[in-house]
Amino acid sequence: MAITIIKDFCKGCGFCISYCPKKVYDLSNEMNKKGYRLPRPARIEDCTECGLCDMYCPDFAILLEKTKKKEKSKEKEGR
Amino acid sequence: MSTVGDTLNLIHPLVAKYLRRERMPHMACPGCGIGQVVHATLMAVDELGLTPKDTVWVQGVGCSSRITYSTWVGDNVDAHHGRMFAVATGLKMSRPDMNFICFTGDGDCGAIGGNHFIHACRRNLDVTAILFNNGIYGMTGGQVAPTSPLGAVTTTTPYGNIEDPFDMCKMAVAAGASYVARWRSTDFRQIANSVKKGVQTKGLAFIEVLLQCPTNFGRYVLKTSNPQEVVKWIKEQTISLKDAEKLSPEEMKGKILYGEFIHQTDRTGIVERYQQFLKQHQKE
Amino acid sequence: MSSGVKPGRYFVQGDEAIAEGAIAAGCRFFAGYPITPSSETSETMARRLPEVGGVCLQMEDELASIHCIGAASVAGMKALTVSSGPGISLKLEGLGWGIKNEIPYVVVDVQRAGPSNGVATRVAQGDLYTVRYGSAGGNCALIALSPKSTQEAFDLTIECFNLAEIFRCPVFLLTDETVGHTRELLVIPEESELKIVKRFKPTVPPEKFSMYPLETPEAINYPFPSIGEGYGICVSPYTHNSKGYASTAQDVQEKMAKRLVYKVTAHLDMLTRVESQMMADAEFAVVAYGGDARPALAAVEMARAQGLKVGFFRPIIVWPFPDGEVLKVAEKVKKILVCELNIDGQLVREVERASKGKAEVYHFGSGGVEPHLPSQIFNELRRLFK
Repeated sequence: MAITIIKDFCKGCGFCISYCPKKVYDLSNEMNKKGYRLPRPARIEDCTECGLCDMYCPDFAILLEKTKKKEKSKEKEGR
Repeated sequence: MSTVGDTLNLIHPLVAKYLRRERMPHMACPGCGIGQVVHATLMAVDELGLTPKDTVWVQGVGCSSRITYSTWVGDNVDAHHGRMFAVATGLKMSRPDMNFICFTGDGDCGAIGGNHFIHACRRNLDVTAILFNNGIYGMTGGQVAPTSPLGAVTTTTPYGNIEDPFDMCKMAVAAGASYVARWRSTDFRQIANSVKKGVQTKGLAFIEVLLQCPTNFGRYVLKTSNPQEVVKWIKEQTISLKDAEKLSPEEMKGKILYGEFIHQTDRTGIVERYQQFLKQHQKE
Repeated sequence: MSSGVKPGRYFVQGDEAIAEGAIAAGCRFFAGYPITPSSETSETMARRLPEVGGVCLQMEDELASIHCIGAASVAGMKALTVSSGPGISLKLEGLGWGIKNEIPYVVVDVQRAGPSNGVATRVAQGDLYTVRYGSAGGNCALIALSPKSTQEAFDLTIECFNLAEIFRCPVFLLTDETVGHTRELLVIPEESELKIVKRFKPTVPPEKFSMYPLETPEAINYPFPSIGEGYGICVSPYTHNSKGYASTAQDVQEKMAKRLVYKVTAHLDMLTRVESQMMADAEFAVVAYGGDARPALAAVEMARAQGLKVGFFRPIIVWPFPDGEVLKVAEKVKKILVCELNIDGQLVREVERASKGKAEVYHFGSGGVEPHLPSQIFNELRRLFK
């Protein structure tokens, strides 16, 4: 999975960090221009491409690009 | 590969398709559940194939409305506090061919807008209403709401709330809405499915979402501003309809039921009836 | 859509004439709540609107009605609601939504004795200031027309709808129980004789269109796109910029306030309509409006029969108040007697203000229930004439 955090949309709420079943995310030391500390997908290799981080993000700040082949049919359905 | 990207070139596909780029990020506080419900709503809109040309977003006043107003790329009609259902009635009766997704809050719908809410349900107005229930008046700084729990400390109940909260789903069912459901902000897929069902069901769809307000409800009532703790607290108050069957009335005390309360497809509403009525009475 | 116009001679109440005027003007949406003495208009609309394919709703309260018709207008309909004093008070917040978003619709106030519930079934004239200044926040200029007869109730209702489209705003028909409940002749002309203003629609694509013309505050005949026309309209109760996005900026508030005031005040030439009789050689003028107008005119005729040089003046468009015309009257005569059905003095204040001290202004007020008798006004005239 390719995970991109849209810096300026993130409000540092921490849902992606708490709700990822595989604990892929950490809190980074980077701040956006509003002073929110951004999450960081620190353990991307553990990602199962469940998409929960995208769904739970209240601010549409997480972009996911699924790379695993078996997920392609779900991708077409969801978007 | 993962990156923290430059916002100028990056946009979430749902935002690109349905929201006004210049109005994002929306004005919700960090961790507010409203963003999650809007996200679920947009998934439903996308899956149903609704478009900005045939769908209007309608709001009232409060967090529910300030956050959603003028974000939808189509038409946005934001009413005065409590009058969302009256406005939705005027819009839908004039344009029965269009879809209306209406956002309201616990104060907007349950307090000042109570009368319009009841009659919209009674008329079974063919719109989909999503109630953002955060148990407090968020936008105005944390006053008690009709859905605030008993004992809640808020800015207008500094010694604790002595009133019982309002079960608005029960009211919607009693008044005649065709589809009534309640979820938590983390019931993402269920919210999206409910919005889809609501749009597809003739009559009023009333979908209540219990969601976290970390800024006001969290700080004043729960003494925490951590959104995840507020979510956890909400989950502890709630019980699914299925699980509730196993509990005694004693065990049920203080619990809030969630799930689908009613889904009736045979009760017509004012919109369909008026079309029939005109066929009979229109002379010219 | 058929015009709904039924030419002919009718013997009807003013309230019914208002309903027929609305239908003739193209009104196809009504939402109201029963309140004496306006209910006959609601009842006529309930019979007639479905015949012409319109939507007629009795809402759960007065507030629902005003918000509902505002929304119907946003959805493209010409819309009407009716009420009386206490109901108008309830509608004032909703009226603000119409004012701020520049939504065309018509509100009828069939005034009755007040304050509070007062005497529900009897006349008074206590809402002159309510309709103009009642909606919170000021920063606007409102238009109100007042008929004196059943025929005028029909004619001016059409005019209200036309002005609502031209000025893109709510317009009041300020009438009263006397005019509302008096049965007399109504002549509905052929459709071709009626002048109806249609809704203005944009001629430029959405990206070039400003929903609220804050940069051109005096613009009239300004387009009002509806939902579902691809313009992505934004309508809200807040101060907003020209796109409709809520704003707290001082300059946006300033521009918006100026837009809502100047669009009316810059066109007073179009908004001056008065009736003047026997004023050419008058030394004394009697001013009245609405249900008190014809008794006042009758009193003036009685005075003339006695050789007193009295003239009659009546504002037909009461807001914007015809300052210029009243000043002309004040410059001509020595004394002005203002007759109205209230004790606190409302029309008289406007006449005093507009007279700029050029004439002595006297108030002949009454609490209401009955309009003045011509003899009462005539006796007051004789007393003041000495």
